[in-house]
Amino acid sequence: MAISFDDIPGVEWEPGAGEFITVDPELCIGCANCVKVCLGGCYEIVRKKAVIRSLDKCMECGACWYVCDNEAISFSWPPGGTGFRTKWG
Amino acid sequence: MRITDNIDETKCDVVVVGAGFGGAAAAKKCADAGLKTIMLERSKNVGDKIISGLTIPFHGFLFGPAFIRDGNPPIERPVDGIVNYIIKDIENKDIDIDDSLKVPKPFSPVFSVGYNAFCKAFCEWEVEQAVASGVELRTETTVLDVIRDNGRISGVITEKDERIWSKIVIDAEGSHGLLAIKAGVRKKYPPDTISLADVYVYDMDKRDIDRIFGFSLRFCWGWDEQKIAPPLGHGNGLMVWPYRDSLHLMQDQCLRNDDGPVYNLAAALKGYHEKITANLPWWKNEIEPRVTLRARMWDGFEIFVGLNEQLRNMPNFTDGMLLIGDAAGLENTELCDGVPTAWFSAEIAADVAIEAISHHDTSASFLKRYDDRIKAHPIIQWAITSTNRYNLRFAQQEHDEKKLKQCIHDGWGLGFCKYGSTALMRIVLFFIRKDPKIIGKWIRMYLRYYYNWHYSHFGDTGIAKEKQNRRNGIRLKSCLRLMDLILFIFSPLIRLVAGLLEPLAGAANPVMRFLFPIVAPVYLKFIKRWDAALEPLSTRLVNAIVASDPSIFNA
Ligand SMILES: Cc1cc2nc3c(=O)[nH]c(=O)nc-3n(C[C@H](O)[C@H](O)[C@H](O)COP(=O)(O)OP(=O)(O)OC[C@H]3O[C@@H](n4cnc5c(N)ncnc54)[C@H](O)[C@@H]3O)c2cc1C
Ligand code: SF4
Ligand code: SF4
Repeated sequence: MAISFDDIPGVEWEPGAGEFITVDPELCIGCANCVKVCLGGCYEIVRKKAVIRSLDKCMECGACWYVCDNEAISFSWPPGGTGFRTKWG
Repeated sequence: MRITDNIDETKCDVVVVGAGFGGAAAAKKCADAGLKTIMLERSKNVGDKIISGLTIPFHGFLFGPAFIRDGNPPIERPVDGIVNYIIKDIENKDIDIDDSLKVPKPFSPVFSVGYNAFCKAFCEWEVEQAVASGVELRTETTVLDVIRDNGRISGVITEKDERIWSKIVIDAEGSHGLLAIKAGVRKKYPPDTISLADVYVYDMDKRDIDRIFGFSLRFCWGWDEQKIAPPLGHGNGLMVWPYRDSLHLMQDQCLRNDDGPVYNLAAALKGYHEKITANLPWWKNEIEPRVTLRARMWDGFEIFVGLNEQLRNMPNFTDGMLLIGDAAGLENTELCDGVPTAWFSAEIAADVAIEAISHHDTSASFLKRYDDRIKAHPIIQWAITSTNRYNLRFAQQEHDEKKLKQCIHDGWGLGFCKYGSTALMRIVLFFIRKDPKIIGKWIRMYLRYYYNWHYSHFGDTGIAKEKQNRRNGIRLKSCLRLMDLILFIFSPLIRLVAGLLEPLAGAANPVMRFLFPIVAPVYLKFIKRWDAALEPLSTRLVNAIVASDPSIFNA
């Protein structure tokens, strides 16, 4: 069953996406760029390192990946048919 | 739509990655040429993950794929111009307006500057046409890598570890370009070329939209401290698109400004949205009481890739592979429209793929002609090198009102003709010289699109026609027949004139720049005075269209 959120109407998330974005703590310097650009609130800084809180509201926009200067973020697509979807884009 | 879940045959002529605006057009052209074409799409249904504005400018329809021009794609509203709000002081309502880009009556709204559309509905329609041409579509299939065979790309590998061998891979995956990066063709774009767009879709009664917006888009620009349009980097803006019964509001902002710090965009975009909806007089008074939020979404797109010479010249092909649309960095740097360039590059890529396969040569040296044709395409090159949006930042930094207004006028006002005339003239004359009958197809397209929009019906089958004004429709039919006859008789002459004018196209921009200060004020004055007087003619044209038998609009 697809998941939706009241604060993000018109969009559904098909389960099964898994951890398609990951942070390498060795490379992360805790600059928080990813936190600042993520409109889905997916990141937080814990003990000076970025941690993915949840990808539940991830719109696969890639902003976090673009702004990480340290290549600490690996970005890939969730498995086919999973992740967000909308009719209104 | 025919969807193939499982096909044993994993060899084909062309694999297209991504069933978006460009992918579907490229795949259809390859299949029409008899090539076995497989199109792979990662989302569950076509268009699920495509987020956009979206006004597709007229040049995409006129000079893009014939099946779109001559077909019945689902559109949400024709666009006849842009009203720019230049916000100097929102508290004191010090707001100037530049509404100089407007199709005059009686041409508006039928002869529009573009069409608004939902990406999903439009791409589904495109993909249906591709599938009808024989393209095999596989959804829920993410491509992870390319197959390398003796150093050349010979197909793709899906997440299910399936190998699909092909003579050519057309990469239409969109702007992030994960596959192109993996294939070593291009690099990840730097964040100062990427814009993050925050999009809101509001439900609104069609009659209210007709009355308040008509067919015009509304754009807002302002000083940084107004916190209306995000001020944090090149490429800020706030745009409102009227659809049939909804509004699309987009705020967008570059992820970084010239290697500076990354701002807290999440907080900024939220704040600006709240501020504009609460303070901008026309939003607060006219829109806010009439709308409810239907959807909210965001996406990143490669807005300024074309302005960086190094990135612009990044390869868009390699042995066995061609990149099209956003994957090739072909976003318009001013209007942020990437659909026309996706279509143009799709057609060029399909042509080159067809030629390469028939010559049994898919090497990079053969495919180089793809890059040559992209670089020779007048509209693509104009689109990816326009600088008004980028320069807006300097005007804002310097608080230079004259400069700000100039950028707005030249980017989203009448001033665009100082920069776009050469490209438009070149392509118009090129098409007319090839076949003057194209003029009839262009005109029929406008009439058909308007008819379809009026009835909200986008199929080939006729629909109940209004009985009144039937005579109007019949008169229009005679006009179209007369037009066909004239085009037929004068075809050699028209072709000759187009051929003679073509070499002069290069002078169009300089001539426009020279004449603009004299001609533009006169033109704008004339339009303001005559628009109301010509309104009845416009209404007659609309009445004639909607009273017609739609088959007269078929190309
Ligand atoms: C907010 C916003 C506003 C815009 N406004 C406008 C506008 O007003 N006018 C305009 O003309 N353009 C506009 N654009 C740009 C326009 O949307 C794009 O230029 C256009 O969609 C590009 O078409 P494309 O075919 O290259 O890629 P897309 O249409 O993005 O299609 C790519 C497809 O590939 C699929 N895909 C990606 N990777 C894989 C993979 N590995 N395997 C399988 N499938 C994959 C995706 O799911 C998608 O369906 C806007 C863009 C944004 C983000
Ligand atoms: S942007 Fe990269 S380096 Fe900075 S906090 Fe996020 S993951 Fe770490
Ligand atoms: S892709 Fe976009 S939405 Fe997803 S985590 Fe990164 S910034 Fe957030």
